[in-house]
Amino acid sequence: MASLLRRSAKFTSGLLSSLSVCTRNGRACALPYHQLNHRNSSTTSKIKVDLDSSTGVAVMTFQGPPVNSMSLDFLTEFAISMEKLELDKSCRGVILTSGLPKIFSAGLDITEMYGKGPEHAAVFWRAVQEMWLKLYGSNMVTIAAINGSSPAGGCLMALSCDYRIMADNPRYSIGLNETLLGIVAPFWFMDTMNNTIGNRETEKALQLGLLYSTSDALKAGLVDELVPEEKVLTTATEAMAKWLSIPDHSRQITKSMMRKQTIDKLSSNRETDVNYFVKFITKDSIQKSLGMYLAMLKKRKA
Amino acid sequence: MASVLRHSAKFTSGISSSLAACARNGTACAFPCHAFRHRNSSTSSKIRVDLDSSTGVAVMTLQGPPVNSMCMDFLTDFAISMEKLELDKNCRGLILTSAVPKVFSAGLDIMEMYGKGPEHATVFWRAVQEMWFKLYSSNMVTIAAVNGSSPAGGCLLALSSDYRIMADNPRYVIGLNEAQVGIVAPFWLKDNMVQTLGHRQTEKSLQLAQLYSAPDALKIGLVDKLVPEEKVLSTATETMAKWFSIPDHSRQITKSMMRKQTIDKFLSNRETDINNFANFVTKDSIQKSLGTYLAKLKKKKA
Repeated sequence: MASLLRRSAKFTSGLLSSLSVCTRNGRACALPYHQLNHRNSSTTSKIKVDLDSSTGVAVMTFQGPPVNSMSLDFLTEFAISMEKLELDKSCRGVILTSGLPKIFSAGLDITEMYGKGPEHAAVFWRAVQEMWLKLYGSNMVTIAAINGSSPAGGCLMALSCDYRIMADNPRYSIGLNETLLGIVAPFWFMDTMNNTIGNRETEKALQLGLLYSTSDALKAGLVDELVPEEKVLTTATEAMAKWLSIPDHSRQITKSMMRKQTIDKLSSNRETDVNYFVKFITKDSIQKSLGMYLAMLKKRKA
Repeated sequence: MASVLRHSAKFTSGISSSLAACARNGTACAFPCHAFRHRNSSTSSKIRVDLDSSTGVAVMTLQGPPVNSMCMDFLTDFAISMEKLELDKNCRGLILTSAVPKVFSAGLDIMEMYGKGPEHATVFWRAVQEMWFKLYSSNMVTIAAVNGSSPAGGCLLALSSDYRIMADNPRYVIGLNEAQVGIVAPFWLKDNMVQTLGHRQTEKSLQLAQLYSAPDALKIGLVDKLVPEEKVLSTATETMAKWFSIPDHSRQITKSMMRKQTIDKFLSNRETDINNFANFVTKDSIQKSLGTYLAKLKKKKA
């Protein structure tokens, strides 16, 4: 959920420069991902999709500088893209990757949760749920080509894929670090992590808000493969070919059998989960926490 | 849940010498946890609690020679101590450790289960459940500083904690070895082990009543860290500081979300579990098993 990148001042400065108020249509906007030169956010594409119908593989490239924050716009685009690909008979697999240097995705856009009130929180949270349901529940083969740091929501997207390849760069980290910001990963984040690295590791990782180094991530099974950064996408393509060699129907039924319980747990309780999130995030104490975090980012930049 | 320590004759002789009838108030008593000189069991403290209000860390030291057996008095002391610490706003974390050399805890006092009848079995088992439940559901950060062997009930204390540090001594063992003694680990303890080791490892471990040496325990993830014996407590203290750096509320909510299912299952089945235990342990065949086991311990001493 949180955009927390401690390693590189570049990230935080990137985030902060976008956080500085920019005017658009005479109104101040503080949404981090709007560049000054894009006047209409709905035409700013945060995600690029390239589908190769001959191989059946789509590559979804995140391109929302500075840090591929998962804003409402990003999440909406993501859901629409996934739906299109899912319905496209020529698309059998999708690789998720980043078009920005050093960052896969910094996670949920905090400014969508700060000072926005309960209605916006509800709309936003439904979009977050939708992203996960579409990705985790996808029939396609999904491979995360993690070519940068990937905290919080970025880690969630990676975890929801079938397979994770990460760049072997000691400056990158990945993990669900919500507790560090004073917030709590929702149960379906926990479930997804649990299904990947096991219960004990998850309990420890979530309580500590652990951001794993790439080597620790491999050790814990948080990622499946580490390769030199320039090889991440090609390795993903090779892995995809291997997964696509399995008959689609049997692979899909197997995947959905394995993921059904986890998916049902959210899909049968979406509104309850939304209400819980809204109640939690609009608490004064939590808003204060988020405010302090944003202020800290600003300070670091200055 | 048996006091089983096979490695060192010293342990078993320790148990046997306590098992020898001791006269107290003219009645023969065979409780291993009562040393000769303590005439009033309610004032003999098997547990010492030191709370440092400035750091917020309590250290609970088990001091019931010869083997920190968990008799009724111990369990009562434990529950009272846990309750006090849980309610104390100054107390954020708990370290469990032993003052008895070479032993963390040898587990449940068999004498509480042998020749006592169903009513006592019921009272005893409720106290055992309470010990696990209070520790497992604690809001505090709980760290087991395992500075000695830790079979059965000792392993229970370790498993219910957030984090386990063990002395790097291959002669120390840890595990749930109930099946060896002819009894069965309760479902909630099994659940706790599954969460820590995974399903397959637990299935094997419980059926084979496996006691792992410290190095093996680390390998399978039963403990999180091995350090030289003299460093166990200081490492626990350092680890505690790291866990304290996470905001309490988000850590606590995360912990209780992760443990909720196991706790709910326990709570809705605890009376049934008590009845099952009372019925089971008072069976002639089980009593015979326990008797044989006690005799074996006596023989080893002689």
